[in-house]
Amino acid sequence: MTRYTRLTAAAVLLILVAAALIFVYAPEDYLQKEPQRIFYLHVSAAIAAFACFAVVLVASVVYLRTDSASADRLARAAALVGVVLTTVTLVMGMLYAKAIWGMFWTWDARLTSTLVLWIIYAGYLMLRRLAEPGRQAARFAAVVGIFGFIDVPIVYFSVTWWRTQHPGPVIVNDALPPAMLLTFLVTMACTLFLAAVMVAIRYRIETLMDEAPSAAGVSLPSIAQHEPEPAR
Amino acid sequence: MTRSVVVALAVARKDLTSEWRTRELVPALGQFVVLALVIANFGFQIDSQNAATIAPGVLWLALVFAGLVAFGRAFAAEREQASLEAMLLTPAPAAAIFAGKALAAGLLLIVCEAVLLPTLALFFGTPLNLALVVAVFVATIGMAALGCLFAAMVARVRSREVLLPLLTLPLWIPFVIAGGQAVQVAMGASGSYNQALGLLVDFDILFVVLTSLAARFVLDD
Repeated sequence: MTRYTRLTAAAVLLILVAAALIFVYAPEDYLQKEPQRIFYLHVSAAIAAFACFAVVLVASVVYLRTDSASADRLARAAALVGVVLTTVTLVMGMLYAKAIWGMFWTWDARLTSTLVLWIIYAGYLMLRRLAEPGRQAARFAAVVGIFGFIDVPIVYFSVTWWRTQHPGPVIVNDALPPAMLLTFLVTMACTLFLAAVMVAIRYRIETLMDEAPSAAGVSLPSIAQHEPEPAR
Repeated sequence: MTRSVVVALAVARKDLTSEWRTRELVPALGQFVVLALVIANFGFQIDSQNAATIAPGVLWLALVFAGLVAFGRAFAAEREQASLEAMLLTPAPAAAIFAGKALAAGLLLIVCEAVLLPTLALFFGTPLNLALVVAVFVATIGMAALGCLFAAMVARVRSREVLLPLLTLPLWIPFVIAGGQAVQVAMGASGSYNQALGLLVDFDILFVVLTSLAARFVLDD
């Protein structure tokens, strides 16, 4: 068993523990009934996504200052995991909204800014795919990674700055009963651990791809061009 | 500092002279925004009742897409002639060259707005007042800084036509949110114009500072 297999097993186990807490231990919400249980993973995924984008921000600044290849790889890995977690947040949020508000989507500041966040970092990943791999792509992506982070505080504070349908912060306002708070905190810790494991695995993949682009199953145009024509 | 300003003005002057001689972009942009209004008319079934509520949205849609076309062209000539590299070889600071490009592209967009705003007022019967012009102008400053930064970036990337809107539009959304509110109020809706304008100025300062810091990493290579 490699280090990564063990880490993955631990992450899966922890998520199962969180699931047990969510579905068995946490009390049913008086008003929202069963759908309220979506809340735990929905908010945890959002926080983990913010954490990933914060890693992208820091790694991007480090990259622009030091040209360190590992900082760039970390930014790439964290951006991908961040987009995945934002997708989870959006999809779970939509299911939650359908159950409670009766519709999947409303153009509320929190929802809209989260969607913009997803689009920004999806654009970041697109840039990484389309730019010629190398120092230039890494620099461009670092700039996008820094600019994109501006949206994270906007998403976070959107519920306080504007009047939104989306509820305001319940955790920092101490609005949860102890059993729910415990469930939430455990779920958040497990999700953050899962995110960290995913970033570590992706970082390893990026390292391998940097070392041997063709071995990782990626065909780069610059390599394809130099291949000799097959003899007839 | 003064040297940077001289460089920026020289680069802007070069771009504007080249545009004045070829008259390539501005007439096309003017036609583009008029066409956008015509399409909006068919898309929305505009009549005298709903024109005032739809007009701000149409304004921003036309402006944002005209901006993408304008900034997409900002580095086209440099790319075709490979003259950006030559400019960067001179001792002029990269940020100053970038500021000049952004200034020229922003001015072209303002010329395009000078077509858009009166045409909108004419076709939609909306008021054309100072508040409206100021809001659109203030939004243009920050949009030009951001748009030019990403244009410089995608100029050296494959499928740049796809990537420019993908990177630029999400970061323009703050301007559309605040500018949208300001324009709605200027056209007679209720709300706080000063708050929206203040927000636009804040975004301008934030993005002009950030882009001038980032310009070095995008151009200097």
